Amino acid sequence: MFERDKKGDRGFDDATDRAAPPPPRSQPAPASRPAGHSGDVAVIGRSIQINGDVRGDEDLRIEGDITGTVQLKNANLTIGREGHVKADVYAKSITVDGTTEGDLYATERVHVHANANVRGNITAPKVGIEEGCRFKGSIEMDQEEVDKALSKVNMSGKAGGPAKGTEARIGPTNAVKGAAGS
Amino acid sequence: MGRATARAPMEKPEALNAPLFRSIVEQLEAGGRHVVLELGAASTPMLELLGQFRCRVQIADLADGGIEQLNAAAALEDGAAAALAATTEALLPSREDEPFDLVFCWDLPNYLKPAAVSALMQGIAARTQLRGLAHALIVYSERSMPERPGRWMPGEALRLVDKSGAAPQVPAPRYSPEDLGRIMGGFAIDRGRLLANGMQEMLFRLPA
Repeated sequence: MFERDKKGDRGFDDATDRAAPPPPRSQPAPASRPAGHSGDVAVIGRSIQINGDVRGDEDLRIEGDITGTVQLKNANLTIGREGHVKADVYAKSITVDGTTEGDLYATERVHVHANANVRGNITAPKVGIEEGCRFKGSIEMDQEEVDKALSKVNMSGKAGGPAKGTEARIGPTNAVKGAAGS
Repeated sequence: MGRATARAPMEKPEALNAPLFRSIVEQLEAGGRHVVLELGAASTPMLELLGQFRCRVQIADLADGGIEQLNAAAALEDGAAAALAATTEALLPSREDEPFDLVFCWDLPNYLKPAAVSALMQGIAARTQLRGLAHALIVYSERSMPERPGRWMPGEALRLVDKSGAAPQVPAPRYSPEDLGRIMGGFAIDRGRLLANGMQEMLFRLPA
C-alpha cells in the first residue's frame, strides 16, 4: 500500500516527577545545596516568569511560566502541573504534567500525563500519552527521522544562540538568559 | 446527532475482530515510512503499535470540539461551504506538512453531518498521498449509537476495543455504502466488512 508515487507508557522512570522528601527538621539541608533545588532536581517555582533561554545539564522541574527555549540536552525535564512553557524544549527526557506550546525534542522519551495540555510536535524514540490529556500535534517515532531531527538540533543549535539579557543561576549547571521576574 | 435516549447497559468492552484494521498493520509490517493521521485522541496502545514501525503520527483529536465546530459550520444557512472549508483548514495540519499515507477515522464520521464529512474528507484528501488509505467504523445495523464517539484502540491480537464505556444513545445516521461513496471527499470504497457489533468496517482508498 501507500505507494509513494507522488509523493508511555506508565513504565517511565518518574524520578524527575517527584521531588525528594524534605530532610527531617532535625537535619538541616546540606549547605552546599543551592536555592531553587528540591532534592537532586532544580526547580523553577510557580511565581517565576522567564522570557528567554533556559539551558543546563541537570534535571529541572518547571512550575512557573517560561517563554523562549529550554535546552537540557543531557538532563531530564519535568513540566509540573502549574508549569506553562511556551517554548521549544530539548532534553534527554521530558515529562509534561502542565501546559506546553511548542515542539518537544527528547533523545530518550516524552511522557504526557493525564492533566497535561500539549500543543506542538513531539520528536522522541519513545512517547507515552496518558488517557485524558489534551494533545494536538504530530509525534515523530521513525527512528531515522528522530535521529536526523535531533542531530540537526545539536549541530545547528536550532534552539537559538545566546539571548540578550541577564543571566540568573537556578542550579549549579543551569542558567537562564533573558528576562526573569516573579 | 440527535436526542439522547436510553443508556446502554454497562458491560466489558467487546474486543472486535477487525480484519481490515489487521490488514493495514500487515502492510505497515512490510516496511517503509508512513505518515498517519489519527482523527481521534492519542492513545498509548495505538502509539505503541505504530511505534513498532517507521511512523509519524499526526493527532487531530476531533472529538475535542472539532465535531461540534464542523457540524455548526454545516448547519449555517448562508456560507456553510466557506465556513466548513475554513473550519477544516483550522482542524487539520498544514498542507505544507508531509502528506498522509493512512487515516484512522474510527467512528467519527457517524457524528458528522454529511456536508461536514464531505468537507473534512476533502481537506484530508488534499493532504493524502495518491492511493492512501482511510479506515472507518460506520454504524450500520443498529439504529442508535453512543452520544459521543468511542475511544477506539488496538487490543490483544490487533482486535479493536472501545474504552469509552456505557453512554446514552442517540439515533445513528446509518450511512450506507452509497452515501459514503458520495461524501468521503474523493476517497473510494476499497473494502467493507460487517463486524460482530453490527458496525461496518470500511477501508477507503484515494484513487491514483
